[in-house]
Amino acid sequence: MAQDQSSLLLKKQLNELMKNPVEGFSAGLIDDDIYRWEVVIIGPPDTLFEEGLFKAHLVFPKEYPLRPPKMTFKSEIWHPNIDKDGNVCISILHEPGEDKFGYEKASERWLPVHTVETILVSVISMLADPNDESPANVEAAKMWREHPDEFKRKVGKCVRKSQEEFVD
Amino acid sequence: MVVGGRGTVAPPALVSRFSPDMADFHYDPEKNYDEQTLEQQRHIEQEVASTQALVSERLSLNQLIKDYSMEDNIYQQKIQDLRSRYRDIRKTRGDGNCFYRAFGFAYLERLLHDKSDIPRFKEVVNQSKTDLVALGYPQFTLDDFFDTFLDVLSRVESSCTPEELFDTFNDQGVSDYLIVTWRLLVTCYLQRNGEFFANFLEGHRDIKEFCCQEVEPMNKECDHIHITALTSAVGIPVRVEYMDRGEGGLVNHHDFPECSKPAITLLYRPGHYDILY
Repeated sequence: MAQDQSSLLLKKQLNELMKNPVEGFSAGLIDDDIYRWEVVIIGPPDTLFEEGLFKAHLVFPKEYPLRPPKMTFKSEIWHPNIDKDGNVCISILHEPGEDKFGYEKASERWLPVHTVETILVSVISMLADPNDESPANVEAAKMWREHPDEFKRKVGKCVRKSQEEFVD
Repeated sequence: MVVGGRGTVAPPALVSRFSPDMADFHYDPEKNYDEQTLEQQRHIEQEVASTQALVSERLSLNQLIKDYSMEDNIYQQKIQDLRSRYRDIRKTRGDGNCFYRAFGFAYLERLLHDKSDIPRFKEVVNQSKTDLVALGYPQFTLDDFFDTFLDVLSRVESSCTPEELFDTFNDQGVSDYLIVTWRLLVTCYLQRNGEFFANFLEGHRDIKEFCCQEVEPMNKECDHIHITALTSAVGIPVRVEYMDRGEGGLVNHHDFPECSKPAITLLYRPGHYDILY
């Protein structure tokens, strides 16, 4: 039954996003599977990621929305909070754990009231404003802090690549 | 006092499963143990889920005697005291949601027999939803949880049998949706009365942080403050019988709110809530 509920809620969200698209991203299904979404995130204006067209996958558990989806960038992307396999590591995609080491503020963790939209709004804001306190890509975090020009070049490359791939 | 579920449920099998690793465990402050912690938590949850129903059948209180050793005088005496006032118990799963599950089941079961409180309660629920939207919660997900909640309530109002209510509460999907909604009712009340409740928070958290960490997430146990908020929010008084290791042989109770006439009664044993009849 948990399955019926999660798939119903996901269907409703998808329909809603089709009817009233939200600025900054578009969404669709992978192989018609309601638990696997492909989203395209438009690099936020006035940031290094501007005009990028980044593909990412969202994979929802059957227990959604009680448990969060996993998000993975499929386009190459260079960012302190995205690991080298493309996995997005931000607090709202993590469940509140008992463990207080390491991660970001627990107040921003996964809650059942979150939606695809609230997740993507957080991800877009993460692109604009990296959090280097708990980096998933340590090298990128270091570069962002210490060699901003190099970081900028590297991100610029990803942006162009994402555009080229998108046209293909 | 932290109360509500996980503390009582560490099956011996799990201890052996995790202890070999623990023997040569050295804490590395550079490492992030969060995923491992969640993983371990998940194992415990599965173990509990396979042995405990979300809500059990009504059982005779005599059953409780078997939960404790006969030499355990404190508890045996307290069970006798409990039996002088109650007949049955209905157990809930120790998953951190037990207070909400017990409270919710006991109340809806009561509504099956006396439907007079339903219109008032529905209005409270609808008003809370409006208030949550005003607090900035996404209408979309609120609709999802509240629609399920109100749907169950409508069935209780029209045609639901006790068996159907029992099945609904043991259907993990629906049952957990109800839990989310109760949690949202608590968060709404706490935030709307933040100034008052802020006095009771420990540490440096504000009420919004407290709600995001201790109220809204599933499996987070219920403390005094949650019970106070929930009973005030929904206007359903509850009596809690506290059965702990304290001396005296008698089980003490507390009514929320104080001096109210309780609509339902729950049994508290350290870390867990069940329903009493």
